[in-house]
Amino acid sequence: MEVRPVQPPAGFIVNETNARQCPGVLETSWGNAVDAANLVRDAIYRSTIALDQQDWNGWLEQCDDEFQYAIKSWSPEINKDMTYLALDRKGLENMIKLLPKHNTDHSPLTRHTSVYTVEMNGDAIAHAVSSVIIYQTLLDGINSHIDAGESRLFLVGKYIDKLKIKDNKAKFISREVRLENRRLDKGSHWPI
Amino acid sequence: MAAKNHRQWTAEPNLQMNEWVDSRIYSDPQIFEEELQKIFKKTWIPVCHESELPKPYDFRTTSIAREPIVVCRGPDNEVRAFLNVCPHRGMIIERRPSGSFLEGQPSGNPKRMTCMFHAWQYDMKGNCVYISREKEGFQDRLCKEDVGLRRLRCEVKFGGFVWVNLDDNPKVSLEDWAAPAFQCLRKSLDAEPLEVFHYHKAVVNANYKLWHDTNCEFYHDFMHYHNRVTGFNDAYFARKNEAFDHGHVVVGTFQVNYEKYEGFESRAALSFPHLPPNQWYMIDLFPGMNFNLRGSALRCDIVTPLGPDKVMIEYRGLGLKRDTPEERMTRINHHNSIWGPFGRNLHEDLIGVQGQGTTMLPGSEPRRILHGRHENQTIHDENGMRHYYEEWGRWMNRRPSKPDQPFSEAIAVAAE
Ligand code: FES
Ligand SMILES: [Fe+2]
Repeated sequence: MEVRPVQPPAGFIVNETNARQCPGVLETSWGNAVDAANLVRDAIYRSTIALDQQDWNGWLEQCDDEFQYAIKSWSPEINKDMTYLALDRKGLENMIKLLPKHNTDHSPLTRHTSVYTVEMNGDAIAHAVSSVIIYQTLLDGINSHIDAGESRLFLVGKYIDKLKIKDNKAKFISREVRLENRRLDKGSHWPI
Repeated sequence: MAAKNHRQWTAEPNLQMNEWVDSRIYSDPQIFEEELQKIFKKTWIPVCHESELPKPYDFRTTSIAREPIVVCRGPDNEVRAFLNVCPHRGMIIERRPSGSFLEGQPSGNPKRMTCMFHAWQYDMKGNCVYISREKEGFQDRLCKEDVGLRRLRCEVKFGGFVWVNLDDNPKVSLEDWAAPAFQCLRKSLDAEPLEVFHYHKAVVNANYKLWHDTNCEFYHDFMHYHNRVTGFNDAYFARKNEAFDHGHVVVGTFQVNYEKYEGFESRAALSFPHLPPNQWYMIDLFPGMNFNLRGSALRCDIVTPLGPDKVMIEYRGLGLKRDTPEERMTRINHHNSIWGPFGRNLHEDLIGVQGQGTTMLPGSEPRRILHGRHENQTIHDENGMRHYYEEWGRWMNRRPSKPDQPFSEAIAVAAE
């Protein structure tokens, strides 16, 4: 799927200060004036847009070849830290390639991401923690006549990201999706 | 025949009476209430695994048929189960999913189960050991000895699962009830301690039996791309569904070719004890528990029916307690690849039962749900479901195909 830049609302004048609110609109205005932390925030928000648009390959383009992805949660039921999914880049590519072979709930997911902290480790490595809340807008999951169009809270958690900065670009080295949820109902076939 | 009019659509199918059921058994509120009373309050349910309460004073809470339950490990290392209900004014005693009674609580002392409401306290054997201002209020009319907790039948068995029965006098002992079905895996599950590494739950708008059916029937391989590419071969289609007394079914093993699914790997290096590589056994216990061993990881599903059209399913994954961190991670990855909440198969299974639940809401027109395939009791034969519903009919004294009529042994066996 093609990633379409988010269009600014009518009358909204895009400048260097607010460009982040409309990623994709003002590629050239960033320049060197934008510091590394902003590059990191920008990458996290752009990855959110790619994931929401189910542009899985576009999302992976923002990830390093060594990218490691995991979905984890702490269970107070069994008193264990759990891994619900762990894949490297190759594993994600395989998973994405085989998605059309699987029967899936196609209800789109909408992630509300807020970057809380970006900490630089030297110039090149950044650690970022974001809050993420994921809504599911029902499509074909239950009874589309009744439920399609209804948005429900699906997942609550954090993105714990590690990125590397090179050539004025931030790329993901790892992402841990740390969920609060242990009740996941039908779950999902998609990266979260 | 082409599409049907209403009379044709609601006519009885051209199959034996035990080869289909009436959809009201999945949707009728009265039948559901009866199931809680007649089945769930009388049968053995694995409520958790012993590794969830590894140390003395550890506890775990759960429920069966709306009755809250607390399971705790005593200082004598014995695992006991009690109703999690205070005999004073009915407060739920322990509210957390798990924890340790070694810590004192705001209203009570360490090493006690304390009801926060009026601070009555109980020891790990369920004895009441403290009533606040006892003499002042009750004088000699009621004392601690009169108000112990309700102790429940509880056994740790079959790979360390904690089994509870709300019935003080079960028809059959746990051993006699499930040992024959567990026979194929007992050596592997009891060779050494197991440990739970995975827990999640799903609440689905479908009857609990639809989930169990899905675990009992493999004909739905056609829904799972993974099963088709890693399974379908002569050995696969020769797998047997074996029926055991009390409604249980065991699906025999074969060697799975995990590498046929791109990105997946053989599980041979971490097989459970005493098993050849990449075996796949499945034990389905009446009325809704499933033990599924795919080579390196054991999965256990436990249903808690919430309504005629609503069920909670708890999913656990288990490995060997002695696993190194690397071994454990490999088992977890194997488990998650198809069975995790973000795995390939579980999502499909849940969409499947949810879709059935959608067409069988309470009050929807009764229709026939077929399970009439006969293939010499091999993998796509539907004898597992027929066997289950025969047992269901006995417990309920209702005929699954005509739930308004009493169960009849003769009809159940006629077609097998
Ligand atoms: S209700 Fe438990 S102490 Fe009163
Ligand atoms: Fe399945």
